[in-house]
Amino acid sequence: MMNSMNNIKEVEDLVNKTVKVLKTENIDKNQIAFEIEKLEVHRLLTVLKNTGWIQLSYLSAIDWPDENKFEVVYIVFNWEKPVYIQVRTKIDRGNPVMESILPIFPGAKYYEREAHEFFGIAFPGNPDYEKQLILENWDDIPPLRKDFDPSAYSARKFPSREYPQDFSVKDPNNKTLEKTEERKKRAKALRVGGKKQ
Amino acid sequence: MKEMKLFLGPQHPGMHGNASVHMFVDGDIIKRSYLLPGMLHRGFEKQMERKLWVNNIALIPRVCVPEPDINEMSFAIATEKLLKLEIPERAHWIRMIILELARISAHLMAYGGIGGPTGNYTLMYHAQLDRNLILDIFEKITGARVYHQYIVIGGVRQDLPVGITKEILEFVNDLESRLVEYRDLGIDNASMIMRIKDTIMLPKEVVWELGVTGIGMRSAVGKAYDIRKVAPYARYDQVEFEVPTSSYSDARARLDIKIKEVQQSINIIKQCIEKMPEGPVRVKPGRGQSMRWTVPKGHVYAPIESSRGEFGYYMVSNGGTTPWRVGVRGASYPQGLLGIEKYLPGTRIDDAALWVDTMGICAPEIDR
Amino acid sequence: MLSTKYTEKTKLTKDEIDRKWWEVGDYFRRNSLWLLMYCTGCCAVELPPSMTSAYDMERLGMGPMATPRQADILLVSGYLSLKTLRRLIYTYEQMSEPKYVIGLGSCPINGGIYHDSHAVINQLDQYIPVDVYVAGCMPNPESILNGFVDLMESIKNKTANSWKKYRDNNEWYKQNQKDALGEVIIHDEFHE
Repeated sequence: MMNSMNNIKEVEDLVNKTVKVLKTENIDKNQIAFEIEKLEVHRLLTVLKNTGWIQLSYLSAIDWPDENKFEVVYIVFNWEKPVYIQVRTKIDRGNPVMESILPIFPGAKYYEREAHEFFGIAFPGNPDYEKQLILENWDDIPPLRKDFDPSAYSARKFPSREYPQDFSVKDPNNKTLEKTEERKKRAKALRVGGKKQ
Repeated sequence: MKEMKLFLGPQHPGMHGNASVHMFVDGDIIKRSYLLPGMLHRGFEKQMERKLWVNNIALIPRVCVPEPDINEMSFAIATEKLLKLEIPERAHWIRMIILELARISAHLMAYGGIGGPTGNYTLMYHAQLDRNLILDIFEKITGARVYHQYIVIGGVRQDLPVGITKEILEFVNDLESRLVEYRDLGIDNASMIMRIKDTIMLPKEVVWELGVTGIGMRSAVGKAYDIRKVAPYARYDQVEFEVPTSSYSDARARLDIKIKEVQQSINIIKQCIEKMPEGPVRVKPGRGQSMRWTVPKGHVYAPIESSRGEFGYYMVSNGGTTPWRVGVRGASYPQGLLGIEKYLPGTRIDDAALWVDTMGICAPEIDR
Repeated sequence: MLSTKYTEKTKLTKDEIDRKWWEVGDYFRRNSLWLLMYCTGCCAVELPPSMTSAYDMERLGMGPMATPRQADILLVSGYLSLKTLRRLIYTYEQMSEPKYVIGLGSCPINGGIYHDSHAVINQLDQYIPVDVYVAGCMPNPESILNGFVDLMESIKNKTANSWKKYRDNNEWYKQNQKDALGEVIIHDEFHE
């Protein structure tokens, strides 16, 4: 317990010495978060990697449409001094560009590609960030942006359509269909005339 | 010789889950290869932003199908960290029992799954039968075989049923006595040794480049890098267990570690049943109706050790009734995407399925 | 005692002969169904228990088959994302007739828990015809086996004719597939 508190303190000192920290969040004894400037991310990650935070655990982005910003988050971990460090930075939402961290963490390749696919953030320096990875023939704005509505997309793309002829497996001779229809009607009538609602 | 293109999956008996490995081969040596993910993409991260905090409990187990409980645990830990909620002591111990049972079941599935690509179907039948017994125990505890929704925010859904601890103990003792059989059938079997020894090795230097965690890393690095030991959650700091490692990572060593981990999980379950205190199992995370529960602002990452490596949820709350952003760190992300691209070239076609199996690649958690 | 007198056999028309052969064929077919091993979604995790010793599918005369060209049943195990739907249509069209489709879980019926997802289709029978649905999330091995028995029954009653529907209304299905997928055959860096 004492040891892990020392680790947090050590990380704080190290990060404050390296870059200008905008905001620090102490989450628990194994986790700390720093918000820094966009241009200093690479310096901080390089220093952290050389100090022992050799594992990139996660890379992704958060959409803040009210501030017109994307927040890019990197999580790194050191197995010897167990502290998860969140490094966060805000970038412009209109023209989202974030330099790739591929030279520092080769494992970031697919995370960056995915962030481009789901948020539309460009990662220059990553050779194939623009290729599609998970979606196929996507024809709308990137789906994890807040202004994308999946249920409208689903209704538009996969509608429960009406057809003059229905070839789905419903059997027209099935008597239970009528019964279900009647039950539905009765339920609807009850809902309108009943006490509740 | 000209390069030829081959697919492994999605419709292939050696492929576990709906993913596809594209290989360019020369003879039977792989020259280039990459994974084509996304066939199980359901848009979880978007779906969870649109659902209430309680409703998400029903959605999350579906992120990783063979081992669903880690999702519930990670989600619950993340939310409790945001809420700064202390959960009852007994709930921690029940959670550990559930997680370890789930780990055994996932390991048995993977260990038996090696029977597919190597043709050792007896092993598969044995492992599936034992896994089915675990699913029966789950059904008695939670009411469902696969998707339990048992670990919820603030504890567990309900207390353990009467007499279940005895049944769990009976089962684990039975399994423990038969682990020798599993070793004989699998890793100590002469024909299996010929097939899997010294194949698809993972050198130590590659591990950090790829970012592989879990059994893949521990078998290569030889250090006890397990989140349960390094940064313990629940009450893993109060039970005694070892983290099996090795310094030579081939397919056989990884399978060996799988069986050793099953043994350790059995030890943990026995200790949990012994040390588990009586008491309440759940606290309410918020006041009033569950529809109106809100969670304070914050960013939190909740990592836990799954059977395949570090698995975590990155959650952002805006103070509202729904999460603002949920990111899932799939444990098999590095070995699935980067490992297949960087590491498979140079091995043979028939070893590709072994990589998928022994490194533990779970397609749904890559795609989400 | 059998009469030795020669009696002329009643002439059967070609249709009647065909029907008899189909009946014979259906009898053997429904007692040895081959299941295509294509795990499209979550429900596939309940298939290993139902195949192996615990529930033992083989006592119904069913077994897993690796290639679509020799399989009888296409088991759609769970939700279908658009990317899988494309591969499923390839697979379905490769299978030789007669072929049967079983939809497992709630998701092929109406989208299930993913009804408003941007990646998952809502109704399977708009794209390929389905013989038997097994509801549940996820259906346990007993109900999966029950679904197989239902399929055998409907082959016996000659109601399992989804493959005929697909042939007769091919244009309708093709149009639906195009509406959802854009183009059915994909051209990208993975499939040059």
